[in-house]
Amino acid sequence: MKIFSGKKPAIFQRAEFLSARDMLQRAAAISVIFLLAHLAGFREYTGILNGTIGSLTLGWNLSAFLAVIYIVFYLAFVVLVPVLVLAAAILTVWRRWIQKLEISRETPNGKS
Amino acid sequence: MKARMKRILAGLAALAVAALIWLPCLHLFFSRPVSDFRQAEGLSPKARELAARHLQLWTDPALRDAELKKMRASNAEWDFMGRSYLVWSLANMSLREPASKPLYLQTIDQIIDETLRLEKTEGMYFFLMPYAKDRRYLAQPAHSLFLDGEIALMLASRRMVEEKTEYKPLLTERVNAIVGRFQKSPHMILESYPDECWMFDHCVALDAIKMADFLDGSDHSALIRNWIAMAKQKLVDPKSGILISSFEADGTPMAGPEGSSIWMVAHSLQLLDEDFASDQYQRARKELGAITLGFGYAHEWPATWKGEANIDSGPIIPVFEISAGSSGMAFIGASTFGDDKYLASLATTLDFAGFPSRTGGRLKYCASNQVGDAALLYAATLGPLWEKVKTGARP
Repeated sequence: MKIFSGKKPAIFQRAEFLSARDMLQRAAAISVIFLLAHLAGFREYTGILNGTIGSLTLGWNLSAFLAVIYIVFYLAFVVLVPVLVLAAAILTVWRRWIQKLEISRETPNGKS
Repeated sequence: MKARMKRILAGLAALAVAALIWLPCLHLFFSRPVSDFRQAEGLSPKARELAARHLQLWTDPALRDAELKKMRASNAEWDFMGRSYLVWSLANMSLREPASKPLYLQTIDQIIDETLRLEKTEGMYFFLMPYAKDRRYLAQPAHSLFLDGEIALMLASRRMVEEKTEYKPLLTERVNAIVGRFQKSPHMILESYPDECWMFDHCVALDAIKMADFLDGSDHSALIRNWIAMAKQKLVDPKSGILISSFEADGTPMAGPEGSSIWMVAHSLQLLDEDFASDQYQRARKELGAITLGFGYAHEWPATWKGEANIDSGPIIPVFEISAGSSGMAFIGASTFGDDKYLASLATTLDFAGFPSRTGGRLKYCASNQVGDAALLYAATLGPLWEKVKTGARP
């Protein structure tokens, strides 16, 4: 029932820059924006890539604007999001490994 | 402060490692076997889906009207070329899939009849860009080889599948007119726009002449041979060895070698001079084709030529110098010459960056348009028509 306690869930808490949580938050934000753009049908306007107007009703400028939003977030979704998620996983594994190493240094001969 | 720097550096290092892992793998999520795009016999799944979308356009006038209006807002030529590529595709599909021939022929006839009607009622300028009216054609009365060549090839392709007596005189008349103008021209060069001539249009027109020879027993082999000899001598870029795309009526080069032209030119040449066609494809593949991290694409110009983006090249994506126009047409070249590795890599890029949209078994690429999708359909189905002319018996 954390959601009603006034405390933000971990994913919404402000994370340190380039920490694993920060990367996951950015990946989630990009995914949500891309999903919204996709559901809103912005994909239809990407014909601008070959010089075709996306919609005669909306005109060149608005069609191009919607196309650019879609293309930027699509590329971010397929290229950047997996990189961010992978990097977060690498950082987490690396941090745990370092922690383990430090603990084993503090407790020589493997005694705990 | 030190801890913060350490964390940021660790984050950057993790991002770099992640990018090194992800980027080479990205294409695997979009790549399919080449048979998904093109098959030696029958229709590939993609060809079937693309064709379904085009057939829908020709049975739903409102949908077609909306598509054509969007294209004509940029370029009236695309309206015309979309028709040509679709007719040529459907002709190949009829030979690949005889059971569906009646449906394909019905659509072919509908397209040809409507195109001829528009040409007659609206005049040839209806399918040309507005600047065609800015100057007077040097050869009078004015004719555009762009229109005459493609219409002739549409008529010939239809008759290659099954004879239609009404189209025979139409093809003969158009071919004779083209041949007559070739014979009158001091340089064997015909205009598509006033004092503007295109390699693409010449090769398509010569294909139509070759097909008419096959269909009706005429013989223009000397004309074709002489024209190719002239092109090799006058219309080749000396640095790349690739045929230039446009020139004036006296053969003076206008544009240089261009990807939006040469892939189709190499395909057209295959019917006229196989060795020269293969040579042109290999040069284009070397100078213009590229595969990076599993994604295939094409440049508009060789490294030795500097050009500016135009309506044919489409926007040029910087760094990799990717031309949408050239990359789309490269499908036709790769498919013609059985370059499966390049074709599969182009198809990977198409599924990655072409924004496919599927509805009820129909496929369109949102980043493309009707003419672009029709050219892709042609790349996925081409072969049987050319093969029939080269080896087959007369229908």
